[in-house]
Amino acid sequence: MRMLLTLWRREMSAYFLSPIAYVVLVFFLIVMGLSFWTLITLLVQGPSSSGVMRVLLGESLFFWLALLLVAPVLTMRLFAEEKKTGTIETLLTAPVSDVKIVWAKYLAALAFYIILWAPTTVYAVLLARFSPETAPIDWGSMTATYIGVGLVGAFYISVGLFTSAITRNQMVAAMVCFSVLCAMFFAGFIPYFARTPWIQEAGRYVSSVMHMMEFSRGVVDTRPLVFYLTGTLLMLFCTVKVIESRYWKA
Amino acid sequence: MISVSHLTKRYRGVAAVDDVSFEVERGEVVGFLGPNGAGKTTTMRILAGYVAATGGRVLVAGYDVVTQSLDVRRRIGYLPETAPLYSEMRVDEYLRYRARIKRVPARRLRSAVAGVKERCGLHQMGREVIGRLSRGFRQRVGLADALVHDPDLLILDEPTLGLDPNQNRQVRNLIGELAPHHTILLCSHFLSEVEKTCDRVLIIQQGRIVASDTPDRLKETLGGGNRVRAHIKGPAADVEKKLNVLPHVQRVDIRRNEPWNECLIESAREVDLRPNVFELVVRNGWGLRELSLANRSLEDVYLGLTLGDGAADRRPES
Repeated sequence: MRMLLTLWRREMSAYFLSPIAYVVLVFFLIVMGLSFWTLITLLVQGPSSSGVMRVLLGESLFFWLALLLVAPVLTMRLFAEEKKTGTIETLLTAPVSDVKIVWAKYLAALAFYIILWAPTTVYAVLLARFSPETAPIDWGSMTATYIGVGLVGAFYISVGLFTSAITRNQMVAAMVCFSVLCAMFFAGFIPYFARTPWIQEAGRYVSSVMHMMEFSRGVVDTRPLVFYLTGTLLMLFCTVKVIESRYWKA
Repeated sequence: MISVSHLTKRYRGVAAVDDVSFEVERGEVVGFLGPNGAGKTTTMRILAGYVAATGGRVLVAGYDVVTQSLDVRRRIGYLPETAPLYSEMRVDEYLRYRARIKRVPARRLRSAVAGVKERCGLHQMGREVIGRLSRGFRQRVGLADALVHDPDLLILDEPTLGLDPNQNRQVRNLIGELAPHHTILLCSHFLSEVEKTCDRVLIIQQGRIVASDTPDRLKETLGGGNRVRAHIKGPAADVEKKLNVLPHVQRVDIRRNEPWNECLIESAREVDLRPNVFELVVRNGWGLRELSLANRSLEDVYLGLTLGDGAADRRPES
């Protein structure tokens, strides 16, 4: 446990010692700020029937743009950079297990992701404080939305970690991750136009867009919960295997 | 300390290391030599637990490098060839981090880091960002990292690469200081360095160990007999003929450099020809401006082994 913490701290400090953390933070806050601004203009036009969280997060283009871009950027250097500079060799010959290294890197990226989202809670507080309506914010649906954000992010970051482990080039890692996430994101629209019932059903199961809509309505279904958690664990498992493959690669 | 038996590593069917066996005793300093691509780095990586072998068995301090990898890694300090470091960290931060992941107990952390910094000449560099250090200092940080947990076995891949002659000597002295308490496997292209610091030399060529002995014995067995260099002024043909008939002389090479004959006279190992040559010169009334032993260096032996037979003789005489 102490070892995991040591490794995690070094990954966290690596984020904040490189300009990438600040660039991502600024980019993300601008995008979320735009999203918030869209919401305000909508609310100003009159009481909205659609839930606030849905507009702010679930159905917002800004939200998805940010999510699809942030995961690759946060994860691209985790392994690719270490491979490029050769530090992977000193890291993997230290008396630490590969599993711990993968977890430390993953948890650091996840922690950064949470730090990224933390300021957006202020939006909800602002709305609750300054809105003329009595209760524009449904705290239950807000909690559910953040659970959804956490789950989707946890999975996307695990995909990014995996793509970073398979290459030594950060750009390649980011592009592959972005492509995979985009493919999954657009696969999420299949239920809207597919005619075959089982394809519709399967599409619904993997559709992040639909999941987020559910979450933003305040519905925490166990199906997406299981989907994201198992998906994350699978990607982490694959990452460990990729790291171990240096061993047997011929 | 190290026991390697029938070690083989294949990359895409090509053997990088081919049926290598050797032992290193506790406290030994062993030089590991060979041309680039001969399998040195691969062997070191296998010892350090970074890659697994295709075949064979490697024990470090009695632990198997594959099945007891963490036990092995706890006991070795490994410095890879280019001393890879996190360039955004400061020297102190980095060494403390490395000490922690190498399980140095918290109460000894401070003294361990201070100790290796002192040893590696980094005591004033603690606040420096690694990325801004010169190559020599980066190399020393790498070495400090390898030493920080006081390992039983040090595996150093080219520790003096990129150092200036002064730093080179410092590192050599450091290795000398470490030698009594540590087992060291030192890979280097600087043969004079290996000759000075190592008890034993392993030479690897195309994935196979071609020689394993003390530097002195290698020179003795593979370097041929004694050689005497003499610069003699006199009629060339006469000089050559008379040198050749001296007792114990096996071979004479003469290069004309008017009016001098630069001779290289070879004899059996136990014979010193210098008095005989001197006497011959005096007797014939020739001139003499140099008379010295010119035995083959470890470098000659190395080149002879790795370039093929006779290569050492083809080298311009040094």
